[in-house]
Amino acid sequence: MSSISLFDTTPPAPTAQADVAIYDPPMCCSTGLCGPAIDQTLLDTNELVVTLKARGLRVERYQMASAPQAFIGNAEVMRLVRAHNMDALPITAVRGTVIKSGGYPTVVEIEKALEGVPA
Amino acid sequence: MTQFHFFSGKGGVGKTSMACTTAVHHADAGLRTLIVTTDPASNLSDVFEQAIGHAITPIHAAPNLFAMEIDADQATEEYKDRALAPIRAAFPPAMVAVMEEQMSGPCTAEVAAFDRFTDFIVAPHDAQGQFDVVIFDTAPTGHTLRLIELPVEWSRAIDAADQGSGQTCIGPSAAIQDAKHKYEHAVAAMRDPAATSFTFVLQPEATSLKETRRAMDELSKLGIASQHLIVNAIIPAEEAANPLFAARRTMQQGYLAQIARELPLPTRQMPLLAGEITGMARLRAVGRLLFYGDASALVAQVSDGATLPAFEADLAAILPRLLPDQGRRTIFFAGKGGVGKTVTSCLTAVWLAHQGLKTLLLTTDPAAHLGDVLGVPVGDTIAPVAGVPGLFATKIDPKAAGEAYKTRILADAQARGRSPESIAVMQEELDSPCTEEIAAFDLFIEYAAQADWEVIVFDTAPTGHTLRMLELPMDWSQQIDVKVFASVDGAQADEVAKARFGGVIDLMRDPRQSTFAFVLYPEATPILEAARAVEELSSLGIAPGLIVANYVLTEAAATTPFGQARRAMQGRYLSELPSRFAAPVLPIPLLAQEVRGLEFLSDLGEQLYGTGIVAANEHE
Repeated sequence: MSSISLFDTTPPAPTAQADVAIYDPPMCCSTGLCGPAIDQTLLDTNELVVTLKARGLRVERYQMASAPQAFIGNAEVMRLVRAHNMDALPITAVRGTVIKSGGYPTVVEIEKALEGVPA
Repeated sequence: MTQFHFFSGKGGVGKTSMACTTAVHHADAGLRTLIVTTDPASNLSDVFEQAIGHAITPIHAAPNLFAMEIDADQATEEYKDRALAPIRAAFPPAMVAVMEEQMSGPCTAEVAAFDRFTDFIVAPHDAQGQFDVVIFDTAPTGHTLRLIELPVEWSRAIDAADQGSGQTCIGPSAAIQDAKHKYEHAVAAMRDPAATSFTFVLQPEATSLKETRRAMDELSKLGIASQHLIVNAIIPAEEAANPLFAARRTMQQGYLAQIARELPLPTRQMPLLAGEITGMARLRAVGRLLFYGDASALVAQVSDGATLPAFEADLAAILPRLLPDQGRRTIFFAGKGGVGKTVTSCLTAVWLAHQGLKTLLLTTDPAAHLGDVLGVPVGDTIAPVAGVPGLFATKIDPKAAGEAYKTRILADAQARGRSPESIAVMQEELDSPCTEEIAAFDLFIEYAAQADWEVIVFDTAPTGHTLRMLELPMDWSQQIDVKVFASVDGAQADEVAKARFGGVIDLMRDPRQSTFAFVLYPEATPILEAARAVEELSSLGIAPGLIVANYVLTEAAATTPFGQARRAMQGRYLSELPSRFAAPVLPIPLLAQEVRGLEFLSDLGEQLYGTGIVAANEHE
């Protein structure tokens, strides 16, 4: 019996780095709607992502279960995760540099980081 | 090319027997044959009289035959192991532990079971080679349809996610492209009449006919054309000497004519057999009848002349388990499909309402036919049952519940001033198949938490499904415990949800508030299945409160050799029941007509439970 995994365990082909990458804690889905209680912060974050994308920025969200390679691909993310476990998450990186750990970012925080880091 | 045969039908119609008979027939013809069950309450090992389990297992008595029982829990474990492998390699143990907990939710179980199911279509072979024939002894109708609908829905969910936010319940779409091809392959194979056939097994009676028609429609909508029928358990003409069987035979002949008119598919007929279909010799004998019309190998078993013990229901033990004890009583009727759970639920609820108790009757069975039995319509909201003061009924329809849940969540988001883009993303998330499961459960909790009923009677879903449903509260509470990130708002919502689930679990465990009644009929398979269900429930701290033995042949009915053989068989099983399950036994006789309508239910209830119980208690 061959088993084809739902999860692609091979390293992803090199792609352009995201402007904003959010490393999420484990969740059933990105908005948290699959759970029994709806978390308004996750909805706020979802709006933030929509807003940033509307400005033409490349925004990616990664979860450990489905995109472990994305975590492994950023050394600073892995250092934080190894040091603080779940408390490190969520982590936000702007153009590869971690700008926040342990909480979701605000639009202002992201804008500030984007100004400081050349595209 | 591998041939796939799916067997579909309501539980208890003889689906497993027909699937096993077909498997043995192909194996004996020299074809390398695999039979797989996706039924959570599988009994292949009972039929083949050997241990099978969650691996492809050679059947000793038939050289080319192999069998596997897909174990939903084990499939989930395997799926989790595959998913967790890269995480174990890189992440600290504390993170791996959280991921493991997180993946114990119902979404994972649903995806895992489906994933395992498609593996057999995409790669129908084991280490020794290809299978010529793969037979799926599928789960009962409602569940089967959801399972078969899934490939289409998942493909759609993945497509939608591709165009949208790139997120679905089962992970970012980029990670599941592989799986998408697999699902498309599975659907294509199911639609190809040269590769796949679907056989509906049904009995000549109203419910079975209705459910088969519904299943046919659903499959046709999914583009699956190769459909066949086996009409099982037809009472032989020579049994008309027995008045009970004569009446049932007349009823059956009417439905046979209706089947011929309304279900125009290639049809085979199988007579009601005197004994059970277990063991290779008997499977081969039934195969000769099914494939060649040769009944000579099926000689009626001769009655051993054993006298039956008198089965008087011990009402003094039974009634306190149905009536409220100060507070409210919740009665769960559990059992394999086709054992008469709905009829038992209805007659019990009608009787309780007649005792002056405000009673809610509710079904969580996806293939609900509560309304057919009551003879009055039952809708998706609680409504009084006309003609029985104090009785209310409703059904939980997973699709309808999913829609209502979705509407409520989206309205809440709109009220909070969420942007249209954000709402569009939520809408997409809520289109995932998991939503229905969660919504149905949410509604189940809501009704269970309502305080104004004196009795709630649950006509529950078939056993395996029921257990998964009942286990959900534990799963969700665990998920809430490990949910490491929550805003203040989210944390409060979690507390509310947790208190609600905790209350339901406590209620189910308290014998003064809850009664789990297991419905079965006196034959090996239903008893084994009930025993397994009881064992699983006991691990959740729940003990059986009542055993309902249905379709018991009365002495007056057992006048022919056939009737006597069946009654002798029933007698052996009935005498086992009290020691096997530490609970009182309520026998319900096999009736000449189908139980339909409030009057019939009222009469039957009084016959079983007596009259004026509450009045007598009040008098004391």
